[in-house]
Order: sequence, then structure tokens, then C-alpha cells
Amino acid sequence: MQSLYVEGNSRMHRLSPRAKLLSLAAFAILLFMSHNLLLLSGAVLVTAALYGKIGLPLGEALRRLRPILLAITVVGLFNLIFNPWQAALVPVLRLTALMLLAASVTGTTSITEFIDEVTALARPLERTGRVRADDIGLALGLVLRFVPEIVNRYQAIREAHTARGLKVGPTSLLAPLIILTLKDADNVAAAIDARRIRRHGS
Amino acid sequence: MSTRDLVLTALFAAIIVALGLLPPISLGFIPVPITAQSLGVMMAGVVLGARRGAIAVLIVLLLVAIGLPVLSGGRGGLAIFASPTAGFLVGWIFGAFVTGYLSERLVDDKQSGLVQTVSFFLAAMIGGIVVLYAFGITYLAAVAGLGFTKAFVGSMAFIPGDVIKAVVAALLGRAVMAGYPLLPARA
Repeated sequence: MQSLYVEGNSRMHRLSPRAKLLSLAAFAILLFMSHNLLLLSGAVLVTAALYGKIGLPLGEALRRLRPILLAITVVGLFNLIFNPWQAALVPVLRLTALMLLAASVTGTTSITEFIDEVTALARPLERTGRVRADDIGLALGLVLRFVPEIVNRYQAIREAHTARGLKVGPTSLLAPLIILTLKDADNVAAAIDARRIRRHGS
Repeated sequence: MSTRDLVLTALFAAIIVALGLLPPISLGFIPVPITAQSLGVMMAGVVLGARRGAIAVLIVLLLVAIGLPVLSGGRGGLAIFASPTAGFLVGWIFGAFVTGYLSERLVDDKQSGLVQTVSFFLAAMIGGIVVLYAFGITYLAAVAGLGFTKAFVGSMAFIPGDVIKAVVAALLGRAVMAGYPLLPARA
């Protein structure tokens, strides 16, 4: 699975992940406080320029945002049926600017940086005794490790069904897929504990 | 959280991600592709129960947030949360939790298969549709400036597909219950 991170050394790349996430949150709050069309259009232009600088070729940069832009446009058009155009344009500009800044943060922050940041944020929660911050990285790693395995297993089950002339439906394919996958959990958990990957595995 | 629970939630999150990568299976006469990951949300609840189901979904959203294209159609990244439909994504967590909570309460292994399936269906309908849409519609109404009624009407188009998914989730919940039960038995 290819991450959406874009290799590069722009100013955005060098900024700390925490600073980027905090700015994104602050920016979102400011956007939602403003109803001024001029200001919001300015925000779209500035964020578009920022997104343009993260080092993606134009086609890829647009392709990434197409589904979100489509959703924003559809909601905007729907809004236009009931409201005057000024009122319909406000949420469209807001969400577009927010989307562009968010996409810039995603494009300039590596997965490792993100996981480190999320782990650091979860660290204070450890005191509640319910969360272990290091488990987050472990869980994310497990997911990435198992996705290809599950896709292969699904194809094997599908082929086995077709070979026997069985009907291929959602329950006939997904039930064995889920059961076989979850049965692995005991073995994986035993392996994790045997290797002491969680420092004080319970 | 025991290591086994941690692994179960991660594996289920992987199943939800894989659902977005698989070629769609048509549901017979109705053209609803099962790639839609909201089925995964209902499945997480009926298979894993409230707490583990919600955490499995949370892991998927965390992967989205850190920039992995794990949603169907290769979508991912923080920009997804700027979409007017982001309320549905956040609602996934609560939808899975409520589906799981109701499944834990309504279903036990002494019931007949039919009762189990119907109970799972109710749990998936309430958690995966009522709770999910409550979050999705409220956010849509607030952020898009549509107002509640219009956001509600606009979202109704997706309900029939979700009811079919609730049926599939109920059948799967029952099948997994028979083959490899994970829901905590009631005291």
C-alpha cells in the first residue's frame, strides 16, 4: 500500500508534524467562523498555492482530491436549490480550503512521523490504565501486514467456490474469510507475547 | 487490553481495509457492491462486540488520518475529513459500538439460528443505520449549511443499500457465531 506522503524537502516538509496538525485545527476553526466570501476565496487561493508546492505533478494532485471535491460540489449544488448563491458558496469555499490544507499536511508528513505523533499524544492517556501508547504502532503495523494476506485468502476462497460450482455471494465468501482470519489471532497473539514485543504483555 | 484483543481488532481492521480493495460482489438482483465499507462497520459490531468493534473501526480511521489510502477507491489522508460527509466516517465508530453493544445484549448461543439472525439484523439496523446517520446527517446539516431536514432528505437515497448491508451483516454475524463465536457470553 502506497502512502500519500510525497518525498521532498519543502518548507512544509521541514515543519514539525505537531505544528502542522495544530495549524490545521486552528485554520479549520477560523474558516468556520468566517462568512466573508472574499476572505474565504483568499483562503482557497493560499491553500491551493501551498498544496501546489508540495511537489506532486498536477494530474496526480487533482486525482487525489477528486472524490472529495465531487462530494463538496454535489452538496454545493444541492444547497443552491434552496439557498441564494452566496449562502451556497460559503460552505463550498470553506471545505475546499480545509481540504487543500489537510491534503498538504498529509503529503508532507511521513507515516513514521504521524505514528510518532499519535503515540506521543496517547502517552498521557496511559495514566488512565486503559491505553498503552506503544500498542497503537503495533496495531497499525499488524493491519498493514495482514491486508495483502486477507486479499489473497479471499481470492483463494473465491476460486475454491468457483471450482466446486458453488454460488458466489457475500455471505458464502465473507463468512469463511472472517472465521479463518480471526482464527489466526490466537497464533499471532502467542507469537507477540513469546517475543515480548509488548513489554509487559497481559 | 489483552494481546489477543489487540490482534483481533487489528485483523478486523485489516478485513475492513481489504473490503475496499476487493472487486465488488453484486448482491444478486440489486446493484449494490459490497465493497462499501459501511458493511465492515456493521460486521465489526456483530462479530467483535461493542468495545473491540469500535476500536477496529478507530484503527481504520487512524490509518486514513495518517495518510494511507485505505478507504474504498483508494481514498485516504486528512483531506477526507474535510468532506461534507465526514460525519458518517466519525459515526462509524459509534455505529460499530452500538451495533456491538446490542449484539452482546440480544444474542446468545442458546437461541435458535433465526432468533440470532433477526437480533443481529436489529443491532445492525440501529447501530449501522440509525446511529450512523444521526452523526452523518447532523454534521452534513451543520457544515454544508443545509439545515437538518434537507440533509435528512438528501441522505435517504442511501438507506435501501444500507438495509441490504444490515441483512448481509446479520447473516455473517450468525455464521461467525456458529463457526467461531467471539461475543462475550452473557452472564
